[in-house]
Amino acid sequence: MKEELKAIERILVDIKSISKEELNNMLKSLFTKISNHIDNYIGDYPTFIEPVYLEGNVEIGDDVLLGPNVYIGANVKIGDYVELSNTIIFDDVILGNNLKLENCIIAPNSHLNFENFKCNSTILSGKADSEKNLTKLSF
Amino acid sequence: MIDKHIIFFGWRIIIFTLKFIYSTYQFELIMPNNNEEEISRIKELESINLSSDEIRDSVVYTKKQVEKENELLASKINLDLKNNQIKSFDIVGAIGAGKTEIISQIVDKVQKKYRTLVICGDITTRVDADRIEAHNAETVQINTGRECALNAYHIHQIIKNKDLQNYDLLFIENVGNLICPSDFILGTDKRIVVVSTTEGEWVIEKHPMLFKMSDIAVINKIDLKERLGTDIEKMIADAKKLNPKIEVVTTSAKTGTNIEKLISIMGL
Repeated sequence: MKEELKAIERILVDIKSISKEELNNMLKSLFTKISNHIDNYIGDYPTFIEPVYLEGNVEIGDDVLLGPNVYIGANVKIGDYVELSNTIIFDDVILGNNLKLENCIIAPNSHLNFENFKCNSTILSGKADSEKNLTKLSF
Repeated sequence: MIDKHIIFFGWRIIIFTLKFIYSTYQFELIMPNNNEEEISRIKELESINLSSDEIRDSVVYTKKQVEKENELLASKINLDLKNNQIKSFDIVGAIGAGKTEIISQIVDKVQKKYRTLVICGDITTRVDADRIEAHNAETVQINTGRECALNAYHIHQIIKNKDLQNYDLLFIENVGNLICPSDFILGTDKRIVVVSTTEGEWVIEKHPMLFKMSDIAVINKIDLKERLGTDIEKMIADAKKLNPKIEVVTTSAKTGTNIEKLISIMGL
């Protein structure tokens, strides 16, 4: 799993180096390797549909649904009413309340400091207080 | 966190009490006619009378929409499963009734005939999934956290990510209780409700909704009936009175008694 994650992280630096089809295939391959690791979070009993892998120091808000096929990196803060499926969140990310992300990749150090946002098959990056200020690349 | 749990369980107790009072009232009034209509009316009463007049209309509207969405999703799940020739069962029952052991026994006996996927619902842990996996079935665990039942969205999230051509049989083991699972259908062919002799002979009449909504009732742990003095005949009669169409089978998952009979009733 770690090798696939590193490969995807490298691609984020130069996204044009890979086709959408190749990226989707990389994600599918990664999802088959995600194991369940959910015992180490900070927060209040979210719903998990396995497999979900949480790195250290992940903070989860109320009424959150994670999975299936979700990887969450270290030092990530997830707001209330967030739903993630088939999604990769890299380290040091902040997600606001009521975000629904499906088949998405959130780049390291991204801050989605806003609420009420739904997104599908997109790479999201940047530090933004509104959806409009976020860098988005659909795939 | 403690306050939230108190509020959460407080709500469930209120809802359960309302459900029980109303379902008993309804049962006396109109059973055995119009069973489906009755179930729908009982469900509509839940929680709406807790909303203030200002928000009552939007609460009613939202509740109806959510129920409709769950039913639509359940229909889609059932269609997807049927299109892939997958037989499907939703197993409900209280914690400790024997759901996991019954599924394990069935999976063990049919593994040469069916490629089985088992979805296990629990508030936390994957203890049940691990027990079933030991009998050569693929499992997926859903930890519902603070939710006391699986819903069609949970199931759809799993099956849309699976190649359904790899399976012939699906079991969904719902979160252990006899109350909340009546709120949501999951799109399976049949629902099986499991109770046990250790729960006492009043357990069925105290939980009418799930028996009205189920196709098969399993009364488990009959190996303990002599020691406990549980009136099994009353339990069978109660199930039949609530739902004349329900098939009732008495089992002991521990000794294997009548598991073959249950498999036969399930059409496997």
